[in-house]
Amino acid sequence: MTAVETPWAASLSDYRCFGCSPHNPHGLQLVFHEAGDALECTFQLGRTFESYPGMVHGGVIGTICDEVMGNLIVLREGRSAFTVGIRLRYLAPLSVGEEYRCVARVRPAGQLYQGSAEVLDRDGTLLVTATGTFQPVDMDRAREHMHLTDTETEQLSMRMERP
Amino acid sequence: MTTLETLTEITAEAFGVPAAELSPDRDLRGIDGVDSVKVLRAIARIEQRYDVELEDSDVFAVKTLGDLVTLIEKAQ
Repeated sequence: MTAVETPWAASLSDYRCFGCSPHNPHGLQLVFHEAGDALECTFQLGRTFESYPGMVHGGVIGTICDEVMGNLIVLREGRSAFTVGIRLRYLAPLSVGEEYRCVARVRPAGQLYQGSAEVLDRDGTLLVTATGTFQPVDMDRAREHMHLTDTETEQLSMRMERP
Repeated sequence: MTTLETLTEITAEAFGVPAAELSPDRDLRGIDGVDSVKVLRAIARIEQRYDVELEDSDVFAVKTLGDLVTLIEKAQ
C-alpha cells in the first residue's frame, strides 16, 4: 500500500501536528493509507504513550481515531474539518509495543460530517470503536485559525483540491 | 430481517457460537466462554450497525438479547 501524503505535509514545511507530522519528535507520526472508501493507519506505541503499566493511554487512542477520521475528510472532501465531538468505546486495553490498525470512514451529515473508526489488533479483533462529528472549515477561516501566509494558503488550497 | 434476528446474528459472531444457542431471554454472560468484554464487543458492533450511541449505564445493564432489542428500538 502507498502512503497518502496529507496536504499539510505537502504544503507546510513546519507543521507540527501531534498526530501526523513527521517533524514532531514528540508526536505519533502517523502514516495513512487508503483502503477502499476508508483511511487507515497502523501504529505501535512505546512507553512514552503509556497509561497503566504496559497499556497504551486511552486519550492517545482517541487522538489516533480523531486523526484518521479527520484526515479522511481532508483527503476525500478537500476541506479542513474541526472536531466537534468524539465518543469512544473501549472494549479491551491496547498493549505498549504491539501493532494495531485504525480504520476510519466518514459520511456527510447535513452541514457536518459524521465519522466512525475502529481499532483492531493483528488478528482483526475489535478493541475500540469511535464516532466523531466534524465541522468543515472554509480556507479563509482555516487560514485565520492557522496563521498561514499567502504562499502557504495558496499551496494548501492547491493540495486541498479534490482529484 | 427483524431487529432480534440482526442482533442475534451479530452477537453469535462476536461470541463465536451458533445463533441457535441464543434465545431472547438467555443471560448472555452465562454462556460458556462469554465474558463482559465479549458482550461489550457485540454491543459495539450493534451500535455500528444501527449507527446509534447507547448510554454506558444502559449498556452495562444489558443481560439478554431481549434487553438489547428494547434499547436499540428505543435509540432509533
